[in-house]
Amino acid sequence: MTSAQRPLPGEPPPPQRGLTREERGRDVSEAQADVEAQTSKWKQFLGWMSPRLVWSMADGYPVVIKQFIQFCLILIYPAWVFAVVVGGLCQLLFYVTVYPVLWVLFWPVRAYQKKHHPEEYAATRAKFAKKTRT
Amino acid sequence: MGLFSRSSDVRVAVTPGVVRPRDTVTATVTTDRPVDKVRSVRLDWGYTNFYRYHWAGRVDSAAAQGNDSILTAGQVGTSHGGDRDTEDWVSVVVEDLPIATGTFAGATSTFRIPSWAPASSPSIARWECRLTIDREGRDAESHGEFTVLIGTSAVEAYVEPLERVSGQAETDVDITLAKPVWQAGETIIGHVTLAPTADLPDGDLAVSWQRERESHPLVRTPSPCGQLDGRVVGLGNRIPLHAGAPVQIPFAIDLPADAAPTAAAVHSSINWFVQARLMYRGFNGHMLERVRRPITVVNAP
Repeated sequence: MTSAQRPLPGEPPPPQRGLTREERGRDVSEAQADVEAQTSKWKQFLGWMSPRLVWSMADGYPVVIKQFIQFCLILIYPAWVFAVVVGGLCQLLFYVTVYPVLWVLFWPVRAYQKKHHPEEYAATRAKFAKKTRT
Repeated sequence: MGLFSRSSDVRVAVTPGVVRPRDTVTATVTTDRPVDKVRSVRLDWGYTNFYRYHWAGRVDSAAAQGNDSILTAGQVGTSHGGDRDTEDWVSVVVEDLPIATGTFAGATSTFRIPSWAPASSPSIARWECRLTIDREGRDAESHGEFTVLIGTSAVEAYVEPLERVSGQAETDVDITLAKPVWQAGETIIGHVTLAPTADLPDGDLAVSWQRERESHPLVRTPSPCGQLDGRVVGLGNRIPLHAGAPVQIPFAIDLPADAAPTAAAVHSSINWFVQARLMYRGFNGHMLERVRRPITVVNAP
C-alpha cells in the first residue's frame, strides 16, 4: 500500500473505493443461498431440484441473453433433475458401501489422533461439524 | 479524421506534463475561434482507472462451477474468460469556468495534485483534465493528459508486518530489507533469517518479488486478485536446519525498470511484496513454508 493515502488539509478527500471479491463474499442468487442455508440434508437435496433454483442460474446476465439462458434452462430441466437424482443415489451408495469400510479401516488412526493430539482432533471435528451445518 | 467527423476546435494543454503529488498543474484551454451559444463550461480533473471485472452472471452460482477449467477454454456457450479489462472515470475536482454572454474564448485553470494520487501507469491510472462545453448546438469536448510520478519522498516509509501465506511455522522465516521503499529498476537488498524450532531436514530456500493487482470496482463484479511473480532467486538447496541455530542468508532481487508503482485507486490497487519459500528435503510430512513482506514501489527518486 502507498502510505501517503491520507488527505492533507486543503485538498479533496480520496474518493470511496469499492470492495474486492473476497470482501463481497459469495456471489450467488437468492434461491441458491436459500438452498445452501438449509440444515436438513433431505430438504437441501429437494432444493437442488427446485425449478426456482435452476431458473436463477440466469441471474446477473444482460437482458435478452438472460431470457435466452432461462429458455435453455427450461429445456434442460428434466436432465438437471435426472443429474441431481443420480448424484444423490451415488452419494447414498457411497455412504452405504464404501464409507463404513473406510470408517472401520481408519479407526486406529482416529484413536491415535484422539489420544496423542486431542486439540487437533477436536479442531478437525469442529471444522467438519461446521461444514455440515452451513 | 474522417470526412464527416466534426472535430472540435477546442484544445486543452496541461503543463507541466510530468508532475509529483502536491505539485500544481495548469490547464490552458484554447479555441481557434470563440465558441458561441455556450451554456456552461466544465473542467473535470481526475483519472481513468483501469481494472478487471467479471462481465455477467453470478460468479459462485452452481452453473458457473468449472467455468474457469481449462477444459472449457474456447468452448462455445461457456463463460470461460468471462473476466475483462475495462476503465472508468474517477472525478477528483470539477470546476465551472466563467463565460461572458454565451461566448467562450479560452481560459486557464490550476489543479494541485492530491497527496493520495495514484501514480500514472497502464495498469492502474491515466490522469486527465477533461473539458466539456455545454452548448445550445453540438457540445464540444476535449481533454489533456499528464503523468503523475510517485517519488520516494511522496510516501511514508515504514516496515509493514510479515504475512504468513502457508506452512506450519516449523521454521520461523523472516525477511529483513535494507529499506521499505524501492524504486522501479532498483535491486532489492535484504536477508532471510531461518530460525528452526526443531531439528529439521535440510532446506531449499528461494525468494522473488510479487506484484498483486486487486480489482474492487464500485458497481461491477470484481475479478479475482491477479498475482505476478518475478524471477525466482534460489538461495541454497541444502541449508542445514537445526534447533537453536538460526541461519542468515543475504539476497538481491532486481525489480523491473517498468514496474507499476504501488497505488490505491477507486476501482483497483497495486501492491508489491518480497516473498520467500522454504521447502524441506525428502518425502516427509513437513509442509512448504511461504512468507511475504509488503514493500512500496515508486517510479521516481
